[in-house]
Amino acid sequence: MKDLIVFNSIPVSIPKDRVYKRLGYRRDKTRLSSQQRMEIEQYMQEFNNFIKLKGVAKRISIKEKNNLEVVLINDVTFESKHLAALLKDCLEVLFMGVTAGGQIIEQIQKDSSQGNLTKAVVFDAVASEVTDTSLDWICGYINQQLRRENKCLTRRRFSAGYGDFILENQKTLYNTLELKKLGVSITESYMLTPEKSVIAVAGILYRDESSPLK
Amino acid sequence: MKNKIANLLKKKVVILDGATGTQLQKANMMPQGACPEEWCLQNPQLLAAVHSSYRCAGSDIVYACTFGANRFKLKEYNLSNVEEINKNLVGVAKRAVAAKALVAGDIGPTGQFIKPFGDLDFQETVDVFKQQVRGLLAGGVDLFVVETMIDIQEARAALLAIKELTDKFVIVTMTFEGGRTLNGTDPVTAVVTLGSLGADAVGCNCSSGPQDMLKTVAAMKPYATVPIVAKPNAGIPKLVGDRAVFDMGATDFASFAPKFVKAGVNMLGGCCGTTPQHISALVKRTKNIRPLAPLRKSISAVSSARKTVVIDANNPFIVIGERINPTGKKVFKQKLLEGNLSVVRAMAVDQRASGAHLLDVNVGMPDIDEVKTMISVIELLCVATDLPLVIDSSNVAVIEEALRFYPGRALINSISAEEPKFRRLLPLAAKYGAMFILLPLSSKQIPATAAERKVIIKKLFKEAQKLRITKDDIIVDAMAMAVSSDAGAAIQTLKTIEWCSKILKCHTVVGLSNVSFGLPARKWINAAFLALGQRKGLTCAIMDPLHKSLEAVKEAVELLLQKDKMAASYIARFAKVKEKEVISTEKLSPQEKVFRAILEGNREGIKGIIQGAVAAGVNPSTLVYETMIGAITKVGELFDRREYFLPQLIASAETMKQGFSCLKAYLKEEPRVKAGVILLATVKGDIHDIGKNIVALMLSNHGFKVIDLGKDVSAERIVEGIKKYNPAVVGLSALMTTTMVNMGPVINLAEKQSLTARFIVGGAVVTKGYAQSMGADYAKDGVEAVRVVKKIVSKD
Repeated sequence: MKDLIVFNSIPVSIPKDRVYKRLGYRRDKTRLSSQQRMEIEQYMQEFNNFIKLKGVAKRISIKEKNNLEVVLINDVTFESKHLAALLKDCLEVLFMGVTAGGQIIEQIQKDSSQGNLTKAVVFDAVASEVTDTSLDWICGYINQQLRRENKCLTRRRFSAGYGDFILENQKTLYNTLELKKLGVSITESYMLTPEKSVIAVAGILYRDESSPLK
Repeated sequence: MKNKIANLLKKKVVILDGATGTQLQKANMMPQGACPEEWCLQNPQLLAAVHSSYRCAGSDIVYACTFGANRFKLKEYNLSNVEEINKNLVGVAKRAVAAKALVAGDIGPTGQFIKPFGDLDFQETVDVFKQQVRGLLAGGVDLFVVETMIDIQEARAALLAIKELTDKFVIVTMTFEGGRTLNGTDPVTAVVTLGSLGADAVGCNCSSGPQDMLKTVAAMKPYATVPIVAKPNAGIPKLVGDRAVFDMGATDFASFAPKFVKAGVNMLGGCCGTTPQHISALVKRTKNIRPLAPLRKSISAVSSARKTVVIDANNPFIVIGERINPTGKKVFKQKLLEGNLSVVRAMAVDQRASGAHLLDVNVGMPDIDEVKTMISVIELLCVATDLPLVIDSSNVAVIEEALRFYPGRALINSISAEEPKFRRLLPLAAKYGAMFILLPLSSKQIPATAAERKVIIKKLFKEAQKLRITKDDIIVDAMAMAVSSDAGAAIQTLKTIEWCSKILKCHTVVGLSNVSFGLPARKWINAAFLALGQRKGLTCAIMDPLHKSLEAVKEAVELLLQKDKMAASYIARFAKVKEKEVISTEKLSPQEKVFRAILEGNREGIKGIIQGAVAAGVNPSTLVYETMIGAITKVGELFDRREYFLPQLIASAETMKQGFSCLKAYLKEEPRVKAGVILLATVKGDIHDIGKNIVALMLSNHGFKVIDLGKDVSAERIVEGIKKYNPAVVGLSALMTTTMVNMGPVINLAEKQSLTARFIVGGAVVTKGYAQSMGADYAKDGVEAVRVVKKIVSKD
């Protein structure tokens, strides 16, 4: 089991196209005046005052696996056909977690209750997208390291609650990733707080049959 | 040895080696999952054969197989003898090349993230690299290579570790994808930061094929004071089945060599997928081409981890934001003392948005741990902004710690000629490659005239040159003094600026607001002084960028002095104002204005527009029931047709709500819009409620009285609410599949208690079918929720 890698600041920019799309913008249909666009862009700019993207990642070797379950080297067992299928060719798994921090959530709630729901909705969409983009960033970072070992991540990643990978697994992932260190807690119903905190799992496999050097 | 490499670089394109792993793979020996360094030491003859094959192919420099031989990486394989492993691997390489090529000690990333971007302590990282460097030195390396870095801070740590133990030649290469490293460093910033910190050659390796890497080299060259290095992969990995392979052949690969040399490469090799054949082909294609020497010997530029600002008389005027300074700011002082830095973040963001190019950081005040606070502020700012920082302190220890930690090339504010301080500060500027502001002050007495200042400036320049600091590394403070106490002070400052600019040919700065101290209406004096200074050649000013008049004057002078090419910056800054004015002056009837305000979501203007409409004689009831309801209905239609998207819908709904509240004062009776009571809640276990809040706003705008129970609400509480408020409709929301299952129990419990309220459900994962299975209605969004609720209420 490798050390936990902590990212105190994940340098992703706001994926504006994805934010607009999430909010329902359709390039061929939506009519947006320059003032309206300016307002939304200003909110995106302001968003940067409140966002603190942090993350963690941990590589763990797979001890054994079959079509129904995956057992990790630390004796954690995940019973999930879907996850087992994702990890079919993998030797290791990557756990990763990201949070947008509590400040942005407080601000969304504040704006929502104090009559600026427009801003709250934009902030909410941006927070969702940058959190997701941060997971992409961690995957990119780990992939760069893996390249030197002639390995790579699976293209897909999984989160607890997808298919038969039940949400209860969130607790195991949360503990392994020591997300408490990032100020994230987990509720009795396995929700991560603050909102816009996410955990994902990807597999690590060899690129080809060559050696683990460059 | 350093001179030998420097001489070699003058004569030819220095050829590096290619990938090591591919060659070992051909031997088909190394088992998957083995520690490469340990396996190589167990099989030295195979590793030696690879090194030897590169030497025979024509590599001038061969990298020892020590890429992952640092404490962190070796620990993954339960190995701790770092120095010994490094020493022995260098030994294998040296014996293999038999003095016919140079051997570089290869240092790769630790795999950890370093402060301020990660949690690994910077000094600890330096120490980890020093341990490896000691082993490499013990093995007898000829030079060092720090490679495949994505974090400039980690590259700095490795470079400092080497520089603090030896003066051998150091190459540093970073890995760029899409024009930046994964951590956001662009090629120019890499070459400026690492070159100024003492790297002898800077460049790029891995990640991209030769085609893409050419762009990185071309971007670096104009700003590089050191030779440029490139080690591309053998093309871009292609998927063969499920596997990625590098398949660019040696001839194709080497065909890029002349282009690399033309773009400015001085050292060329290969990374993933390259072989001795690739290197041999490179040798052939470069042997008759002379490389381009660095285009400059020095550069006036400061950098953060993600941005470089070049200071050049032909570039736009540089604004140094002055706000992060506790002087005269009682609240800020208190917050700094408490360690509350949120205000610093806001100051940085605001100054950047107002046009600052650099941020001055000063945290000096009584009773504060200035070193600790400065590092904390730097940590915060490195994340909060991409602007380079100016380290402003009168305390040498603060400057030293800040320069060591700061992940870019900083500007020191300032170094004066006061003994013995400058004798400590100049070597620090030289060691960390920082630029500095030269303050022409040699004693406690301020030199009043330009002539006196020139003497001190010349003296400090001479001292700086002894440490190989150049004019480009210095910005002279022309010393703006208060005209209220010395009427000729501004003239002396302007003379100093002119002399520096025309005779000495160096950059200048002033602390702008000093000039107006003690006078009323200071902004006019500051603005005029700024314009005069710019005319004399002033390059930078420390000022408050939030003062719009100063920014405007600066832009105007830039335009008049032809620094703002095609007036692009001026037009971009001021054209928007005009656009807004045009829209607001359109002639519309009072009702049309209200209608349009709602359609456009004009929340700031709706109150005045409604007051105007009432004053013009429009009946308030007509405004509510015809104009405003008509407008919001129109917005709903536009949303349905996707001509509006969510922020527009909500902005209009909020405008409508504000309009209602404004009109209440004019209406004789409450608007007859109480179409019924609606109870809303996000169900137990779910904390995501923004969708429910949107529905609440939409329903209230259509005359419903909305009771919102909030989020994570239990079935029991919802049922209690039904009993208490007797709603016509109960709306339930849930975002996740795991929480939407909590909707059914609410409906069951209500039925069990014989409550007749109708239910409507919604949320990202909720479907119409799911709603029907519970006997509830469904709405996909706020607009549909209004329609469905209206339908339910009208039936009842």
